[in-house]
Amino acid sequence: MQFLQALVDGILLGGVYAVISIGLTLVFGVVSIVNFAQAEFLMVGMFVAYFAWKLLGLDPLLGSLLSFAVAFVLGVLTQKYLINRVLKAPAVAQIFLTVGLLIVMENLALILFGSEFRSVQTPYQMTALAIGPILLSAPYLLAFVVASIAGLALWWVLKKTWWGMAVRATAQDPMAARLSGISTHRVHQLAFGLGVGMTALGGGIILPYLTASTTVGAQFSVLMFTAVVLGGLGSVIGAVVGGVAVGVIQSLSSLVLPMQLQNLALFAIFILVLAVRPEGLLKRAG
Amino acid sequence: MKTPQQAIRRGRRDFVAGLGAAALAASLPGRALAAASEVNVGVILPLSGANAQFGINSRQGLELAADEINAAGGIKALGGAKLKLIIADATSQPTTAATVAQRLITQNRCVAIIGAYASSLTLAVSEVTERRGIPLLTMSFSDVLTERGFKHIFQVVSKGSVLGQAQYDYAASVVAGASEIKKIALLYEDTAYGTSQAVGVRNAAKAAGAQIVLDEAYPLGITDVTPLISKLRGSDAQIVFPISYLNDSLLIIRVMRQQRLTVPVVGGAAGYVIPDFAKALGQYAQAVLSIAPANYDQAPEYTERYRKRFGTFMPHEALEHAVCAGVLAQALEVAASDKPEAVSKALRAQKYDQGWAGVMSGGGVHFDANGLNTMAQPIMVQWQDNELVSVWPQALAKGRVISAA
Repeated sequence: MQFLQALVDGILLGGVYAVISIGLTLVFGVVSIVNFAQAEFLMVGMFVAYFAWKLLGLDPLLGSLLSFAVAFVLGVLTQKYLINRVLKAPAVAQIFLTVGLLIVMENLALILFGSEFRSVQTPYQMTALAIGPILLSAPYLLAFVVASIAGLALWWVLKKTWWGMAVRATAQDPMAARLSGISTHRVHQLAFGLGVGMTALGGGIILPYLTASTTVGAQFSVLMFTAVVLGGLGSVIGAVVGGVAVGVIQSLSSLVLPMQLQNLALFAIFILVLAVRPEGLLKRAG
Repeated sequence: MKTPQQAIRRGRRDFVAGLGAAALAASLPGRALAAASEVNVGVILPLSGANAQFGINSRQGLELAADEINAAGGIKALGGAKLKLIIADATSQPTTAATVAQRLITQNRCVAIIGAYASSLTLAVSEVTERRGIPLLTMSFSDVLTERGFKHIFQVVSKGSVLGQAQYDYAASVVAGASEIKKIALLYEDTAYGTSQAVGVRNAAKAAGAQIVLDEAYPLGITDVTPLISKLRGSDAQIVFPISYLNDSLLIIRVMRQQRLTVPVVGGAAGYVIPDFAKALGQYAQAVLSIAPANYDQAPEYTERYRKRFGTFMPHEALEHAVCAGVLAQALEVAASDKPEAVSKALRAQKYDQGWAGVMSGGGVHFDANGLNTMAQPIMVQWQDNELVSVWPQALAKGRVISAA
């Protein structure tokens, strides 16, 4: 029974990791840049949702749409004015830019919002759904539902709309896409905006169970990269599988190991996967 | 007869000499004046990162006490010198804390350092201050602080193991008859503070013959406590002792409420006794108990001034930092010197119970050879309508224990 409970908790948690990681993998897959500042957009999303709750009385689950919108605009601007300039530059320059962005964003937030922890109060925060002996935490469950809807919506956009097809075409072969009349600049902006938007949305939906602070990004950065690499860098389905895997591994490991070693189990498995399948769980090599 | 040329030259020479003399005259008394009018006190606190909230509270406590001391005429033995707080951010990383301490001491002539709230930070800072022979006043809990034979560390609160012991013993008297408690759960953060206090709870439980059915450490910055609370639900603990900072304390209480656990919670200070705890939890904070090294309702005539200025009750870390400033000011009077070694000697020399120093639970501060305040006494507090009420020991109690609705 404990096993089932831990599994369910892990899947719920993993769903949120998945939506956060999709953003990172989308940016990498389409724009071909590793965005180290990705987790800072999660922080931005948390603050947007927090202020939407505080000032407008909006539930964080709805506020997360606002988080998405704000981060989308920020993302498009970031791509247009910053990332675009280093796309052909050596990898070191790209790393410097995104790491620099991370530091600037974190410190700017510190100046603007101060370093207090901010927490919302919602009616469902202290409730759980009981299915037999299994308890589904309401904030986890709701976050999972919204994450799933957001993931499906993104999938629909990528699969069915012209812009989505342009994004996928650019990811497959930028040169061919350009020859077919797709403005890859525009597509890059769209993809970066969507990517950081998804991560920011993830920041909004976790607000009912986590406190917002300017340094929250650091806690998710490593998890996010683990999920993405586990599933295969650049693969959206891979990020979903990776995200859920991270949640489940974390949750199940606490059944046998002390809580402190939660991430030890995660990284042991991570290293093992990298050693056996360096291309990730889902992606085909080469 | 002088030629005009010579006269000009002479004049120029006079002028330069005069300038030199004037500069000398201006600089000498100037410097003497500066020494008399200000005493630098280094303050190292976590003002960003996981423990920022506590750092901010602590800074406000220090500012309140320092402003009051200065308004009352400063340090009279030093010609009315004012306390000047030089505040530095230790972030929440011990390595940064040590670097910051080093820089603060090299760049400013400090009579003492006050800080650094979190035990792990204070441990790092104390290595630096001890090496430089500068007194470090702290309200961190860890036992290790005053166990290394350091000459220049001063801990105004009871140490962690004593607080842990009180957390258990007081809870046993308050929640139910001590003899009725057979099984307890212990959850703590694996930092210097958490581990140190957990030792106290563990020993007290063993001494009382209670069984610890759940004994779990978890890392700082934990984002999911569900596995911990699921284990708690699976155990038959009659009382749970969580020792945590703010973020994790909120997580623990929320997930416990989700799972409809009604086991009494007896927190281990830190996250359980600051205004943000009630602000974030609302009605769910009601009746939560916690141990605290001091509480504001013991000396309202002092602590209400904090509420007036900063808008919340005075959290214990603000109170104890104000005590640090108060003790330091009185030690400076006794030492009548701004030399760090003289201040260290004065701090150890006698009991301090005037002004802010007397606000400390137990009525004052008296450091033993190790720098531990022998007068400190832990207090059990309870959340009642968004205020912390002292409920135990009987001699210090200001209200009765209520039970959760």
